[in-house]
Amino acid sequence: MFQVPSLSDLNVAAALPAVVLALGACVFLVVDLFVPRERKHITAWLTAGGLSVSLVLALLSLTDVVTFGDGEEAFFGMYIADQFTDMVNVIVLVTSLLGVMVAYNYLDRTNMQRGEYYYLLLFTTAGVMFMGAAGDLVVVFVALELLSIPLYILTGFRRPQEQSEESAMKYFLLGAFSSAFLVYGLALVYGATGTSNLREIWQAVDSMVAGDTSAQFLLLTGAGLSLVGLGFKVAAVPFHMWTPDVYQGAPTSVVAYMSVAAKVGGFAALLRVLVAGMPNFMLDNGTSAAWMDVTWLLAAATMIVGNFIAIVQSDLKRLLAYSSIAHAGYILIGVAAAGVPRVADEATQAVLIYLMAYAFTNVGAFSVIIAVERDDASNTGLSSMRGLARTQPLLAAAMAVFMLSLTGIPLTAGFVGKWFVFKAAIAADLIPVAVIGVLTSVLSAYYYLRIVWMMYFEDGDGEAATPRPLAWAIGISAIGTLVFGFLPYLLSDMAREITLAFGG
Amino acid sequence: MVTAIMSGYALSLAAPAVHRVVRRWSGWIIALLPAGLFAYFLSLVGRVAGGEVIVASYEWFPSLGYNLTFYFDGLSLLFALIVTGIGTLVIVYAGSYLAGDPWLGRFYAIVLIFMASMLGVVIADNLIALFVFWELTSISSYLLIGYKFDKAASRAAALQALLVTGGGGLALLAGLLLLGLISGSWEISALFGEAEAIQAHHLYLPALLLILAGAFTKSAQFPFHFWLPGAMEAPAPVSAYLHSATMVKAGVFLLARLSPALGGTDEWTALVTSAGAVTMFLGGFLAWKQTDLKRILAYSTVSTLGTLVLLLGIGSSIAVKGAAVLLLAHAMYKGSLFLMAGGLDHETGTRDITAMGGLARSMPVSMLAASLAALSMAGLPPLVGFISKEVLYEATLEDAVWPALITAVAVAGNVFVVAAAGLVAIKPFWGEWVETPKHPHEGPVGLWLGPVLLAGLGLFVGLAPGVVSHDLIAPAASAVLQKETTVKLALWHGINPMLVLSVITVGLGVAAYVWRERLGNRLNILDPGSRFGPARIYQEAVDGLPRFATAVTSVLQSGYLRLYLTTIVVVTVGLVGFTLASRVDAGGMWRTPDVRIYEILVAGMILAGALGVTLMRSRMASVAALGTVGYGIALLYVLFSAPDLAMTQFAIETLTVLLFVFVIYRLPKYATLTSRRDRVRDAVVALLAGAMMTTLVLIVTAEPLRSRLTPYFAENSLPLGKGRNIVNVILVDFRAFDTLGEITVLSVAAIGVYALMKLRLGQAGDEES
Repeated sequence: MFQVPSLSDLNVAAALPAVVLALGACVFLVVDLFVPRERKHITAWLTAGGLSVSLVLALLSLTDVVTFGDGEEAFFGMYIADQFTDMVNVIVLVTSLLGVMVAYNYLDRTNMQRGEYYYLLLFTTAGVMFMGAAGDLVVVFVALELLSIPLYILTGFRRPQEQSEESAMKYFLLGAFSSAFLVYGLALVYGATGTSNLREIWQAVDSMVAGDTSAQFLLLTGAGLSLVGLGFKVAAVPFHMWTPDVYQGAPTSVVAYMSVAAKVGGFAALLRVLVAGMPNFMLDNGTSAAWMDVTWLLAAATMIVGNFIAIVQSDLKRLLAYSSIAHAGYILIGVAAAGVPRVADEATQAVLIYLMAYAFTNVGAFSVIIAVERDDASNTGLSSMRGLARTQPLLAAAMAVFMLSLTGIPLTAGFVGKWFVFKAAIAADLIPVAVIGVLTSVLSAYYYLRIVWMMYFEDGDGEAATPRPLAWAIGISAIGTLVFGFLPYLLSDMAREITLAFGG
Repeated sequence: MVTAIMSGYALSLAAPAVHRVVRRWSGWIIALLPAGLFAYFLSLVGRVAGGEVIVASYEWFPSLGYNLTFYFDGLSLLFALIVTGIGTLVIVYAGSYLAGDPWLGRFYAIVLIFMASMLGVVIADNLIALFVFWELTSISSYLLIGYKFDKAASRAAALQALLVTGGGGLALLAGLLLLGLISGSWEISALFGEAEAIQAHHLYLPALLLILAGAFTKSAQFPFHFWLPGAMEAPAPVSAYLHSATMVKAGVFLLARLSPALGGTDEWTALVTSAGAVTMFLGGFLAWKQTDLKRILAYSTVSTLGTLVLLLGIGSSIAVKGAAVLLLAHAMYKGSLFLMAGGLDHETGTRDITAMGGLARSMPVSMLAASLAALSMAGLPPLVGFISKEVLYEATLEDAVWPALITAVAVAGNVFVVAAAGLVAIKPFWGEWVETPKHPHEGPVGLWLGPVLLAGLGLFVGLAPGVVSHDLIAPAASAVLQKETTVKLALWHGINPMLVLSVITVGLGVAAYVWRERLGNRLNILDPGSRFGPARIYQEAVDGLPRFATAVTSVLQSGYLRLYLTTIVVVTVGLVGFTLASRVDAGGMWRTPDVRIYEILVAGMILAGALGVTLMRSRMASVAALGTVGYGIALLYVLFSAPDLAMTQFAIETLTVLLFVFVIYRLPKYATLTSRRDRVRDAVVALLAGAMMTTLVLIVTAEPLRSRLTPYFAENSLPLGKGRNIVNVILVDFRAFDTLGEITVLSVAAIGVYALMKLRLGQAGDEES
């Protein structure tokens, strides 16, 4: 009755894109030891190559050209290889590729060119991929740590600069703290349902005796504490406080990457745990999941606080930190909307579309900051944007595109994301939240358009340098933002068949 | 159809280059495009007047069923002709008006973007496409108002216009979304047939309110009217084109377009009619109070927009026809007056009507155009304005709800408009000669061609209304009413109530003009808005926003890690505590405690230790107190007959204390950094968190453990693992791989720590030497 599982039972092939990347990271770690310091471009190229291979595999799987493995489950239900996983993989791999491109010169000129950077980035990416594919609470937690710990290190990568170290310390302490909440929450969920497998949790919730208030309470508290833990990762108010400090202190190339990757991971985990695991968890014969109310409250608070505080920021990195908080709020609307079973699929797709759009736009915006930042990490104030349109017309145009997209102006990817999320919210009868979303978007125009204004209508030096791979990254981001804005069906087609529901 | 729009965008890209090549004649050359488009739309008149609707569709979003569709009917035709016709004249005009300006190329580009977007608004059939074009008009308006970007007033006005119309635009988006969800269709043409279903839906009112918010902000309806006069910072051709003839009418267009689907209900009538009536009156009154030429025109435009909205609110057949006529008439006379005002400003260097006089001699052509246009604005025969006013009164008299009140408001509004027309056309040109900053003479042909053409057209249409009634007005009205309509317009209908009202209006208007000075201050009471109005609210909001944001920041973003932690803990305690309070029956948790005296002793020891950790003044003492807590827990294990666990706990506790001592040996002494109040607050937070955790533990333990693992291991440890101690068997047998992994990880970590320490020691050595 107790047998050692054979390799073929594991269905490893189904997890091919993630496995390739994780193994690649381990191999590069060793290879890098033999790469001399002044030739780290080899590591960078290897990393980019590994990411590209994984990306191609993920794309093939997403478009159903190739089906890896045998069925959707691998590692005995621990890993789920469905369309959702594929799309999360594509988003995070694109982000990582851009992340490598923007990092290369930046590391060089700030004297941080070390091989660790690249494989820490790969480990984080692998963490996000496993998080998106999590079929078990244990995987959620392990993947979260795999995602987080390299990020703590990357945040402090600019040692011995104090700001960088301080932000790493803050991030680590608060991160560990919130991980504790998550573990406790997951444990309570386990206690209430007697299993850590998401599919079995779903079944257990379904058959949960209606009168069993004690189990319901455990599950409710468990979901709540998980929401706190993951809310920290995605920077939802009131668990957002680390964001501006960390974004400002960390090396900008790290921020460009983590501002998207950590969000993708956090939201993927939220969706897996809440939408896949307990969509049917309703109290008092309600029509929506029990966790929906808290989620939309968080969404509303996040949008309001993020946008309001962003208005008074005078540092670009801090401003974008608050903007990323605000965007977490918009995405949370989608998560909340998924609490209504009939909207669940639509809302899940909306979240993914938003993340895809956000990936291009936000990495792009941070890349522009990298271009204007000086070697000593100065010149990231708002004033550095003055007159950029005259000295660097293309760079300024790209930045304008990113800002318009972040505001959510039509014909940019940002609009498409907001459109789908708000649509899902309205379909889920969350109209007040959608209205808050629209109003705060108006508010956000205040600070995004101010940047455009400064670039085009104010005088200044507008100094910036765009060496080769960075320029590619900015170009790709801008083109992505515009293409998805003009041809939104590319995004919606990609996400069309995604569902998180177990049992068809 | 789509080519017409795209050509505008395409030329806008090329416009700066074109301008650089042909400098002097750029206006004339660039105007060829709108002129060509005008001719193209003119060629469609026959088909549209015959009742045909031209439809074009392109795939855009096929998987979701969204298509880029265009729908060209009588209403679109009327607007398209105005947009391209005035566009032509304005571009020619701008070539002279802004000659020599370094940014003229950019100006052409934005105007062309605007023109294309506006065409998009009037011929889009898809709700989302409509919204996209709508926002593009707002953005191009923003750029054009801020054209003189070195002037602070210009920038502030541009921002104000953008915030108001952009904000309204987003409300519109939400409204259109609701509308699409209600009807399940994104094509406007498909909405027409579903009016009943839409109006019966419970989301009808929110959708209507949001859409009206969009339309009212764009068309400067009360209480959003304040941005339009501010927008007069823009150069004259922009004012004439965007803020009089076309963009501000987009809101009116939207109301007209959607009225078959949304209109006719009580809510629609009440909201639209009242907003229109208030705006009409207020706009007229404020126009009459101004002395700046362009502000007079701006407020009178507000008044006209109010009239249009009022007519659409009434929604009867005659009202809709009236709206169509007024739309056309207004585009002619107001466009002409704005361009003329720009010409006066250009030639004299001022726009203040009290600083001008007797210009008729030096600028006879402008005088002629201004007089014709002003007569039309005042509604005197034989101009087109007269006809439109007759139809207006006919419509208000037939209003189903309050004909008397609406008619009275309409007359009052028009009285002021008549007076305002006098201010614009009589004050500057007649009377005594007043010295102006520049010496005035007639400007170049580009400057007077537009006003003269438009004013002349007004006269021509007034004399021969048959030209437009069948081909333009009737199709537009049919499109709004969604049924075949015929329109007969004429100057003379015999003596009827409308004519009497017209005479009264003109009479009172003349009086208002003559006694303006004396009446002005007494009537201030009619406009309480100047002190407490929406403009003030806007200003407060714009100023208050950064203040508020700063305040929020200082509370929420102190930079102190401890405060961040406090926030997270408090929120968590709040959330969980709330659920606890609302969902859990506290009675079930309390089981009769069955405690022995030494349990209480041990618990007391643990508590004292915990308290000690927080209160001790020295690190060593704190660590020792912490150790007490750990040993207390070990004792508890002993008491509950788990000696193996107790042993582990003892070992770990000892090791931890030793480690702590080892580490803190080098740290500085404690210092008190927080105030007493902070510490009390922290203590409260800590107690709350502790209480929450305790309660959670109690609840969890109240739940019977449903593990499938314990019985499995109990049954199988002897037969499969050959051992009686289940824990041991699990560690070395069932989960041997895990144990192996743990050992490996620990060893690697130990090596890492050793390496770090060695590195550190080495560095210390270097520093010393």
